[in-house]
Amino acid sequence: MNLTLLLIIPLLTAVGVLFCRNAQQVRWLSLAGAAVQFILVMALLFAFYAARSNGNTDAFLFSERCMWFAPLNIQFITGADGISVSMLLLTAAVVLAGVLVSWKEETMAKEFFFLLHLLAFGAYGFFISLDVFTLFFFLEIAVIPKYLLIGIWGSGRKEYSANKLALMLMGGSALVLIGMLGMYYQSGANTFDLIRLSEVHIPYATQLQFFPLLFLGFGVFTAIFPFHTWVPDGHSAAPTAGSMFLAGISMKLGGYGCLRVATYLMPDAAAYYAPYIIGLATIAIIYGAFATLMQTDLKYINAYSSVSHCGFVLLGIGMLNQTAITGAVMQMVSHGLMTALFFAVIGMIYQRTHTRMVRQMGGLLKAMPFIMTVFFIAGLTSLGLPGFSGFVAEMTVLMGAWQNPKTMYRIATILACASIVVTAVYILRATGQVAMGPLKQHDEPLNDARWYEKLAAFILIAGIVAIGVAPFWLNDLITPGAKIIMQKIVSLSR
Amino acid sequence: MGESAILVLIISAVVFSAGGILAGKLLVKSKPSKVKSEAYECGVQTIGKSWVQFNVGYYLFALIFLIFDVELVFLYPWAVAAKQLGWVALIEVIIFLFILFLGFLYAHKKGALRWM
Amino acid sequence: MNTLITVSLLGIAAMLSEVFRFKKFIQTVFIAAVTGATGLAVLDWGTSYSYFRFMVLFDDYALAFSILFLVLTLIWLLLSQEYFCNENTRADYFALISFSLAGAIILSSFSDLSMFFIGIEILSVSAYVLAGSNRSDIRSAEAALKYFLPGAFSTGFLLFGMALIYGATGSFNLSNISLWIIANHSNLPVMVNAGVVFLITGLLFKIAAMPFHNWAPDVYDGSPTPVTAYMSTIIKAASFAAFYRLFVSCFSIMADWWTPLLVIAAAITMIGGNITAVYQNNLKRMLAYSSIAHSGYLLLAVAAINQLSKPAMLFYLAAYSVASLGMFTLVNRMGNEQQLDKLKGFAHDNPFYAALITLLTLSMAGIPPLAGFFGKYYVFLSSIRSDLIWPVIVAVIASLIGVYYYFRIVYNMYSKPAASAHVVSLSGFDKSAILITALLTLLLGIAPALIADII
Repeated sequence: MNLTLLLIIPLLTAVGVLFCRNAQQVRWLSLAGAAVQFILVMALLFAFYAARSNGNTDAFLFSERCMWFAPLNIQFITGADGISVSMLLLTAAVVLAGVLVSWKEETMAKEFFFLLHLLAFGAYGFFISLDVFTLFFFLEIAVIPKYLLIGIWGSGRKEYSANKLALMLMGGSALVLIGMLGMYYQSGANTFDLIRLSEVHIPYATQLQFFPLLFLGFGVFTAIFPFHTWVPDGHSAAPTAGSMFLAGISMKLGGYGCLRVATYLMPDAAAYYAPYIIGLATIAIIYGAFATLMQTDLKYINAYSSVSHCGFVLLGIGMLNQTAITGAVMQMVSHGLMTALFFAVIGMIYQRTHTRMVRQMGGLLKAMPFIMTVFFIAGLTSLGLPGFSGFVAEMTVLMGAWQNPKTMYRIATILACASIVVTAVYILRATGQVAMGPLKQHDEPLNDARWYEKLAAFILIAGIVAIGVAPFWLNDLITPGAKIIMQKIVSLSR
Repeated sequence: MGESAILVLIISAVVFSAGGILAGKLLVKSKPSKVKSEAYECGVQTIGKSWVQFNVGYYLFALIFLIFDVELVFLYPWAVAAKQLGWVALIEVIIFLFILFLGFLYAHKKGALRWM
Repeated sequence: MNTLITVSLLGIAAMLSEVFRFKKFIQTVFIAAVTGATGLAVLDWGTSYSYFRFMVLFDDYALAFSILFLVLTLIWLLLSQEYFCNENTRADYFALISFSLAGAIILSSFSDLSMFFIGIEILSVSAYVLAGSNRSDIRSAEAALKYFLPGAFSTGFLLFGMALIYGATGSFNLSNISLWIIANHSNLPVMVNAGVVFLITGLLFKIAAMPFHNWAPDVYDGSPTPVTAYMSTIIKAASFAAFYRLFVSCFSIMADWWTPLLVIAAAITMIGGNITAVYQNNLKRMLAYSSIAHSGYLLLAVAAINQLSKPAMLFYLAAYSVASLGMFTLVNRMGNEQQLDKLKGFAHDNPFYAALITLLTLSMAGIPPLAGFFGKYYVFLSSIRSDLIWPVIVAVIASLIGVYYYFRIVYNMYSKPAASAHVVSLSGFDKSAILITALLTLLLGIAPALIADII
């Protein structure tokens, strides 16, 4: 299984899109490209299971390396462990659904789909890179298309939101850049190779100095408090597929980076800073939940709840034990699927009612039963109903968190648990108002989902249910990866 | 020695120039009158504005003159040491003059020497 | 050396074309000669010869920069086609360009302070004339004057600095000066320090670094756009080549003493240039301020002064100049009103070229995988190696500010046009210029090793 294929296919699709004659060709080519990516990732998943069951216990499978830029020791190293594979799965699913949801995008369709595939390219590259430099490189590639997607195809205060988002994310990656350069020189290894770096012991003082830069840098992507302000603006101004990619993939880049680069390479500093991380994560969870209560715009509701949900990811990482880290990764996958579904369905509603305000809607269940069912499913996943992925992921994080006997950690865990109640309040309130009651007047007759919208929703729901009903496969996938990270933390902090 | 000399030079230059101006301000009684503030033009009244445009030809001539002026500056040291420097230097000087001559040709062709 | 001779002869030939009436072919001759000179420089690669009693030294540094200037000139020709349309003046313009190129090559190869001075004068004097070459536009005349006065003023600073250095060390030769400074390192006379400060001041004027930048925006704005493109790429590159060569070969031993000056200048240039650029609504002026900001990053490379900073400078200059030339092609086509609003609708009419210009803009903003990113990265790397941590942080913040206004260009291109607005259209030469610069930008981004490790 060649991981580089995962880079070539999106790139080829992106370039191919530019040569299409009309929107029809663009759509079908995009769909084909996304489908091939999805199939490839599924194949990767099975190849991964096969390799593991054959007793291959390497930390990273399918590893390949080649020198890219010799004078600066930059290599192109690819490899995947369970964590990367689960992230790749998420990416492939969201890309496929995103393409389907934007089926009717007519204005500058070529550029739109080109940017979507470019974003996918960046995300795939990020998740398979094992060289800190190329990791950073793909992170940046995944930022730029977002600016354009929001700035050109967005709605509302799009220029402001696009600028805010781009600047904050670029700021985050700038922090990553400085941390990365510092690590390159101060680790004594003079390499960006993640595997080599994980073998050397970076001096304690250096870790303390550069861990905050890397963690905060990646943290901006995953909406660490107080750098979460781009999330609501960015998501609400973005076009539907843009929001899906933003919440489903981009926010996960940050969580993955925090885990793979910051925590994995500098475990001592991670242990030192863990209380702060947990503090910020708890604030994000509580603040996000309460801020959501005040929102009346469906996109804002989901954006603020994303801040809250992503807080769980950081909470899991901050707890620094195997269960919690596994839970954090599961939460990333689960939240990615759930939030993509949510944004997709909000997009569908908006297209028909031309409003996103909860108060201006009502009784939609009668008019478009399919869309509303999907809306219910997304909502119930968000509030953590057993049987859907949200419950499994948040439970795992909280179980891991409870293993930590310190009082402060206990308080954080209890607060995080309590936030679920708030989540239930706003989700149930929003779904109730939108779906139930008398049907409000709208300019056009409301029709139900088209085939492409149904397909997109089906893919995402399949993922959510597969994790919710049978979480063991994802758990088995992630646990070895989390174990490797934990081993380093345990062995070094002794 | 070297540094303090520069310092002394700077200080004395400042003192000398500033002192002159200051002394003038302090000592001289100022009684301006219309005649005094006129430009001294050999006793004759000025006619028109002083911002007249000169014919651009003056500048062109002056510039071309300047080129040959500078050329002579280069030729003098060569002439003094011509014997020691020998044939190579002679050829180099001829090349130099030739390039200047080409420039002159160009200027001529461009009409720089035509009086407008 | 052969390169220098070819280019100088080319200048004379361009003047003679006026006399002997072969003006029609002068462009062909120019292209052939510049290409030939590039070839000669490539042939000399790996050698290191000194000429004229150690006046110039053609080592790999000099050759690499010479090739850079010549290649940039060839690309520049594409965007400046209309500038040479006028039969009356075209021989003069070609001659001036050739002479300033000769100056640039001298600036990359001098090994004696007097050659340094001659190079800078040849380069600048041609540039003064070029800035004023649009005789029908009063802003062009204003630009020429505004360029000339500070230029002459800064030349004074340079000369005074050189005189002080000569007074202390008794030599104009770079290696002699360097040896003298090494020998007297423990108790250097203040004269040397004063000389270095004057040289730095003069050079900061020339490269338009803050706080000596005030002439630059008006000059860049007022000059004919092709000349602005030439000034902000080739002339800037030549000045930096000279700056680095002078300081690395003469004063590297006393680097601790003067790097703080450069670092401070670099920091305020980066921040100030970028912040001022944010407030511009005129694309040409925005690029002028962005060019000032880019000087800041390059100054950081000069201040870092280690093995990495030499390739860092070359790479940054190449990346920046190539991208700038592409951007100026667009500005050139916008005519006299270079408001950002006028770009609206551009992407709708020229989707392909809008994408390429987006690429160039992103490269200037320093976003991977484009050349500009590696330029910045290289500079940061060399600065961190020299323990200049806080300037790098400033530089990173400054480039974030830069991202904001570069994105505005892209945003405007992709916005819907105002009704009845005239949308910019490109000629064939413009298209090829944009295509070539974009391809180079992408190529240098994907395979930075191509030019990064040659010197």
